[in-house]
Amino acid sequence: MNPKFSHYAHPEALVDGAWLQEHLNDPAIRIVESNEDVLLYDTGHIPGAVHIDWRGDLQDNVQRDYISPEHFAAVCSKNGITPDTTVVFYGDKSNWWSAYALWAFRLFGHTKVKLLDGGSAKWKAEGRPLTREKPSFAPTKYPVPAKRHDADIRAFFADTLAHSQGRKPLIDVRSPGEFKGEITHMPEYPQEGVLRGGHVPGAKSVPWKTAANDDGTFKSAEELRKIYTENLGLKKDDDIIAYCRIGERSSHTWFVLTYLLGYDRVRNYDGSWTEWGNMVRAPIEKGS
Amino acid sequence: MYPPKLQEIVDLFDFLPDEEKRENLIAYADGAAACALKPGESFDLEDTRKDEECTDTVGVFLKVDPATRAMHFRVNLGPQVQTLTRAMTAILCKGLDGASPEEVMEVPQDFVPKIVGGQLVRLRSQTVYYILTRMKSACKVWLNRERAAQAAG
Repeated sequence: MNPKFSHYAHPEALVDGAWLQEHLNDPAIRIVESNEDVLLYDTGHIPGAVHIDWRGDLQDNVQRDYISPEHFAAVCSKNGITPDTTVVFYGDKSNWWSAYALWAFRLFGHTKVKLLDGGSAKWKAEGRPLTREKPSFAPTKYPVPAKRHDADIRAFFADTLAHSQGRKPLIDVRSPGEFKGEITHMPEYPQEGVLRGGHVPGAKSVPWKTAANDDGTFKSAEELRKIYTENLGLKKDDDIIAYCRIGERSSHTWFVLTYLLGYDRVRNYDGSWTEWGNMVRAPIEKGS
Repeated sequence: MYPPKLQEIVDLFDFLPDEEKRENLIAYADGAAACALKPGESFDLEDTRKDEECTDTVGVFLKVDPATRAMHFRVNLGPQVQTLTRAMTAILCKGLDGASPEEVMEVPQDFVPKIVGGQLVRLRSQTVYYILTRMKSACKVWLNRERAAQAAG
């Protein structure tokens, strides 16, 4: 195991490139690429990796919600995944979307999940193999999950409002400019999708990137504890909600808090700022 | 109305199934590097910058044939630019090659969904429109220069 991983609360939740390259043909794992760049998978991916699109495959494209348990079972079956398959996620943008896909798998009770530290950028930087060949797996019979575990790891608007009013730990992982209300999207993106800028009252600003190194890997356990445990003062049994703009950057932070630091109760508010900043009469704070 | 070369590309993509659209877009994205500025080339107008509409630096280079006013573009893309934007860059460099500045300025954005398809047009794919906007900006600067030169002459 990568020595860095051994200091995390759940070291088994991360793999590095060397481990994954050794397991490319392991029938017990399925490698899943999830990206922001909708065509990136087609330009070259890890051999044997399937593509699961965060929007096309995991979201209900009529109602703003995730797919049904029946639909999730179909996505898994199509990609040769069983409940016993360990799914290793990776992708672009420092694993935002792969963390989001991993979180969505957890919503349906699939707990055998791992993330490739550093995502696709590090895999490519290390000169590891890539292919454009799309794998084909025999469809499985993935049983329809009995329920979606929304209550465990997902927060809704009402939960987040109650958190704000109760002054419980609320982490805004967006960029400082978004938190202050100066902009409504990341600095390098078109400014669209929300009518008001600012943050949820009482939220603390801890941008997702504070948990990542420049190469997209996660910071060490010691560095992460300093950020979240010492500086932010989070306690192990705190009831924590993280949010961003649409829930993908906060999935990254959710992964850090849940798997790398071992916090017991962390939820991702996937409605995030595009819901809060558009909600009539939702309270907003501006500034730092 | 699109310039003739762009119309040909739109006609090719418009009725393709989504999977074939993807394959053709990847082929165009692979060709985006060939649209970059080549050593020794000179241009009438150069605009290289990174702004808030794109994830990386984009350089737009415009050369205009003084006799015919035919426009020729080169576009340099940084490594972080998304695949769809790379594909659209190659499509626009080919599709707008030889068009007049007025034709470029009048290109409507509705060719994008015809080429890309509904499956790939989404909130975070708006940078596909960005390259066209940058090309139009270069045309506008060139037209202003042309008008200024005519007024002075």
